[in-house]
Amino acid sequence: MLTSGDRDDRSTADWLRRITSLPGVPGHERAAAPEIARAFALFADRVTRDRVGNVYGWVDGVGAAPRPRAMLAAHMDRIGFLVKRIEPGGFLRLSEVGGFDPRTLPGREVVVHAKPPMVAIFGTKPPHLQKKGESEKAIPFDDLYVDTGRPEREVRRRVPVGTMVTLRQPPVDLLGGRLAAPGMDDRAGVVTVIRTLELLRDHRPWWDVVGVATVEEEFGSVFFGARTASERLGPSLGIAIDVSHGDMPGAREGETVPLGAGPSLCVGANIHPLVFDGLRQTARSLGVPISIEGTPMSSGTDAMDIQIAREGIPTAVLGIPCRYMHTGVEVVEPRDVDRGARLLAGYLAELPMDWSVSEVLK
Amino acid sequence: MSPASASSLESALGTLLEAYGPPGRESGVRAALRRLLRGAGAFTEDATGNLHVHRPGSGPRLLVTAHMDAPGVIVTRVDGATGSGRLSILGGRRAPELVGAIARFEDGRRALIGWDRGGAKEGTEPDADALFLETGVDGTKKDPKRRSVGDVAALEDRPIRLGDLWSAVNLDNRAGCAAIVAALKKVRRHAHDLHAVFSAQSDLGARGATTGAFGVDPEIAVVVDVAHVGDAKDSSGFSVGKGPCVVLKEMGFLAHPEALEWVRKAARSARVPLQNLIRESEGSDARAVRATRFGVPTAVIAIPARRTGSAASLIHARDLAQTSELIAAVMAAAPTKRKGGRR
Amino acid sequence: MTPGTAAGRAKRTAAGRAKRTAARGAGGAPRFRDDLLEAFSNAPGVSGGEGAVRSIVAQAVRDHVDSLEVDAMGSLVARVAPSDGAARSSRENGAASRGRRPPHVMLCAHLDEVGVMVTAIEKEGRLKFRRVGGLDPRILVSQVFRIGPRRVPGVVGTLPAHMVTHADEEKVTPFEELYLDIGAASREEASREVSIGDHGVFDTTYERWGTIRKGKAFDDRAGCAVLASLIQRRPPLPVTAVWSVQEEVGLRGATAAARRVAPDVAIVLEGTAAGEAPGATGDESAPHMGEGPAVTIQDRSLMADPGLVRTIERIAKSRRIPIQWKRPGIGGTDAGKIALSGAGVAAAVVSVPCRYIHAPAAYLDLRDAQRAVDLVWHTLEALRKEWPPR
Repeated sequence: MLTSGDRDDRSTADWLRRITSLPGVPGHERAAAPEIARAFALFADRVTRDRVGNVYGWVDGVGAAPRPRAMLAAHMDRIGFLVKRIEPGGFLRLSEVGGFDPRTLPGREVVVHAKPPMVAIFGTKPPHLQKKGESEKAIPFDDLYVDTGRPEREVRRRVPVGTMVTLRQPPVDLLGGRLAAPGMDDRAGVVTVIRTLELLRDHRPWWDVVGVATVEEEFGSVFFGARTASERLGPSLGIAIDVSHGDMPGAREGETVPLGAGPSLCVGANIHPLVFDGLRQTARSLGVPISIEGTPMSSGTDAMDIQIAREGIPTAVLGIPCRYMHTGVEVVEPRDVDRGARLLAGYLAELPMDWSVSEVLK
Repeated sequence: MSPASASSLESALGTLLEAYGPPGRESGVRAALRRLLRGAGAFTEDATGNLHVHRPGSGPRLLVTAHMDAPGVIVTRVDGATGSGRLSILGGRRAPELVGAIARFEDGRRALIGWDRGGAKEGTEPDADALFLETGVDGTKKDPKRRSVGDVAALEDRPIRLGDLWSAVNLDNRAGCAAIVAALKKVRRHAHDLHAVFSAQSDLGARGATTGAFGVDPEIAVVVDVAHVGDAKDSSGFSVGKGPCVVLKEMGFLAHPEALEWVRKAARSARVPLQNLIRESEGSDARAVRATRFGVPTAVIAIPARRTGSAASLIHARDLAQTSELIAAVMAAAPTKRKGGRR
Repeated sequence: MTPGTAAGRAKRTAAGRAKRTAARGAGGAPRFRDDLLEAFSNAPGVSGGEGAVRSIVAQAVRDHVDSLEVDAMGSLVARVAPSDGAARSSRENGAASRGRRPPHVMLCAHLDEVGVMVTAIEKEGRLKFRRVGGLDPRILVSQVFRIGPRRVPGVVGTLPAHMVTHADEEKVTPFEELYLDIGAASREEASREVSIGDHGVFDTTYERWGTIRKGKAFDDRAGCAVLASLIQRRPPLPVTAVWSVQEEVGLRGATAAARRVAPDVAIVLEGTAAGEAPGATGDESAPHMGEGPAVTIQDRSLMADPGLVRTIERIAKSRRIPIQWKRPGIGGTDAGKIALSGAGVAAAVVSVPCRYIHAPAAYLDLRDAQRAVDLVWHTLEALRKEWPPR
C-alpha cells in the first residue's frame, strides 16, 4: 500500500485511466473509496473516511491555528445500475442509479459485480428477427435487459437483487491526447483534487485544505455526500469540481464549453461572486485559460448542498469539459484537468487568513 | 413469536388502524400510541407533532422510526346550498381509491366521499377535483354541524381479518407502528441508546422525520414502513407472505451498506426471511433520516402490502409478526463496529 | 466414444471442465479450434475490406490444404483431396466401385462482418459514416469503433442525457445524424489518421468463460472457424473450402466462387441468430444457444436440398448430436446463391446459434461449435458412402 510521503510520478492521463476504471455506483462507493484514499494519501497529511463513506484528504496550512478550512468536493460515484430482478432464462432487469439515455445502452458490455465479477451484454435483437419498422422505435429502459450468457441457475445463485452493474469500457486514447472512458463524471474531478493536493503539498497554503471524494452525487434530489461532508467540516469556502458539457453537435451555444480550452468557472446563483472573481483573477495571473459557464439557477453539482450547509458557505464550481456525458465514452482532455489543478492550487495558496465574504455593516 | 405476543401485536394493530391521524393532525394516533406504550419509555412530543419514546442506554444512539400519519382529506369548499363539500387529498392516495370511502373528522362525525361524475365518459377515472363529501347536513340552515373549509378528515377504517390476511385502509403505516410497539414491549435489554420516533406528516414529504431525526441526532437508524407490491415493471418481484422487505433502493434512498448488513444479521439471528426490494417511484421517511446532519447510516424495513384498487390494502399477518420480531432483534443487537475512519 | 458423449458430459460438468471436454471432436471429427475463433473474431473485415481477416485465415489453414488461392473478388479458396486411405476405402465399398465418384463438396463460410465506412471528414474533425450490412442504428450510439488500417479508435458521439427530453428519448437517431469523434480538432488532423473509405469495426475483444465465448463478428467468424477446424484433417472426399467475401451486402462473394468451384454439394457454415430474450425462451425463440447446431430447411434465400437435410438429420440422430431446426423464413445466406449456381447445387446450412449477432458483442457456446464440426464431418463421411441418397 502506498503511504503518505511516497512520490508518485503518474501522469494525469494515467491517473484518469486508473481512477475512472474503478466501479462504484451511488451507494456502492466502497468499491472505489480505498483506491481513492490511497491516492489522496500520497499527497495529503491525513486521510479520513466518514460514516456515510466520504473520503477526506487533509493538507495542513501554515497559518496560525485555528485555521479556516477550504473544501474541494468531487464526487466519486459514477452512474450505473443495480440488479432489480432475474427473469426466466437468467436475464437481468436493472434499476438505474444515475440518469442514462436508454438509447446509449443496447449492445453495450457491462460488468455485473458478483463475486467474482461477470461480463454481460445489454441484449439486442438482430435485424433478422425484428418486425418491420421495429428499428424505428427506441427501446425504453424498462424493455432493456442484460444477458450474462450463463445458465439461470448460476445467475440466481451468484447475482442477488441489488448487485452493482457498471458499463464496461476500457479507456480509449483518442487523438490530441484526449481520453474516452465511462466514469469521467466525476472521476476527472477526483483526479483534479488529487493533482491539487499534490501541488499544495509543495506550496503550502495558509488555510487547511480538505479534498473530499463525495458519495451519491448522481442519485436522488439531495447531494447526499456533499451535504453531510460540509455539515461535518463546516468549511469557510467550498469548491465543487465536476464535469461540464463539452462542445458537441446538437448542443446549443451557451450549453457547452470547448474541450482543451481550460476548465470552466460557473457563474450564477449557486456561486459566490467573490470566489468567482478570485478564481478568475488567479487564472489571469497564472496564464491559465478558462471558459465561463452560465448556470443561472442550479449548478447541478455538489455545490448546491455545500452552499446551504450549516450557516451558509461561499461556493464556486470548477468544470472539467467533458463530451458525451453519462455515456460509456465520456471524453476529457487531461490538459484541462492539469490546468484546473493549477488554478485551484494557485488560488488556495494565496487565500489570506482573514478572508471572509461576510460583511458587518454596522 | 408466542401466541400471546402475536395477539397483543394484532390488538395493537386494530387500535392503531382505527385511531384518527391524518397528516398534520395526528392527535388520535399519538394518544393511542401513548396508551399502548405506557411504561415502555419516556415520552416527548415535538413541534412537528412527532412522538418520541426514549429508552436510555450507554451505546450509540439508535433511531427506530415509523410514520404514524395516514392519508386523509381536507375540505376546500362548502356549498352554501347543499352543505356538500369539495376536498383535496392529503397524502399518497389516488382519487379512484377514495370513491365510497368514509371520512371521519376529529370530532368523530362522518361523511361519505363520492364522485361527481358530471359528464365523464364510461371508463374514465375520477380526478381529485371531482370528489365530494356528503355530510348529510342541510347547507341552507346555519347548522353548527356544517363543515368548514380546512377541516381535516381521516379515512375511517374497519379492519377485517381474511384468513392470514389483514384488510384495512390505514395499514400504511399503522402496521409499521404496531410492529415497533410490539418490539418495544418485547425487548428488555438493548445495547443502544434507544429512540423510537413515531413521525408526523410523512405523507406530506417526510416532514416529521426531518425534524425528528435532527432532534435525536442518531448514529444509526432503521425506518419501518409499508411497501406496496407494484406492477411488474416497477417492483423487484417481492410479494406478500414471504417475509419483511429490506429496501436496497427507493425514491431518494440507497441502503447504507453497514446498516443493511446489520439488519440482515439481525434477521438471521431471529430466523426471519428477508426479501430484497428495489422500488422506483415510492419512498419512505428514510430519505430524510439519512440526510440528517453528518449523515446517518440508515436501513429500511418494509412490510409488503397488496393494493386492491380501493381504499383498503392487504398485508399478511405473518409478515407483520416477523417484522416485529426483526425490529426486536435489531433493538437487541450489538452496535455495529465501524470500519474506515482515520488512516 | 460415441459422438454424443462429449457434448453430453460437457453439459453435466462444471463450466471449467466442460471447456476441455467440449474441445475434443467426437468419433474422429477434428477438434474445434477456440484459438482460431479468437483470432478470426478479433480481426477486422467489413464487407469489401476483408483483407486483414483473410490473411489470418490463410495463415491458419495453409499447412492443411493442397492449394490456396484468392479469387477475383477476394474470397479465399482452398482445395483438399481426401487421404489415400479414404479414397481407397471409398473405392472398395463405396460409390466409386459402383462406377460413381464421390461428390465434390463445397464448404463455405463468409469472412465479412457488418460495420461502417467513413464517408466524409468534417471541418471540425468529426467523421460521417454509413453502415455496411444490416446494422440497427439503435445499437451504435456511444459505441467505440476501430477505424481503418491503423485501427484508430473513435466514439459515436451523442448528446448527454441531461440535454435530451423524454420525448426525444423515444426517437431513434437516424444514421445521417450519427458521427465518429476520434479526438481530432480539425479536418487536417483527422486526415492524417483516417481516410474516406476506411472501414470501422466494433472495438470488442474475444473472451472466454465456461463454454461461453464472447466476441464480435461471430456472424460469420464462427462459421469460418468451424470450416478451418474441419480441414485440419483430410476429409473423406474432395472438398473445396471457401471463405467468401461480401455476404452481408448481398451474398456476392459466394455467387462468384460457386461458379468457379462448381461443386455437387454445398454446406454453408454460419453463425446464426439465437432468439432467447426475457419472455421469449420457448420454441418461438429457437434456435437457442447451447442446444446444438441449427439446420436450415428454408430461409429467404434458400430451399435446402431435402436429401442433404435428411442425411444431416440421420447423422445427427445416429451420432447423437443434438440439432435444432432454424426457424424458417428468416434471413438468407450464401447457400441461396450457391444453390442456384450453374445447373444447380444441393445446398444446406449448418449454423452455430449465437446471441446478439450484428451487434458489438455476441455470445456462442463452444459446445455448439464442436457439434457443428462433428455434424459436418460425419455428414461428409456419409456423403462419401452414398450420394445422392436413395
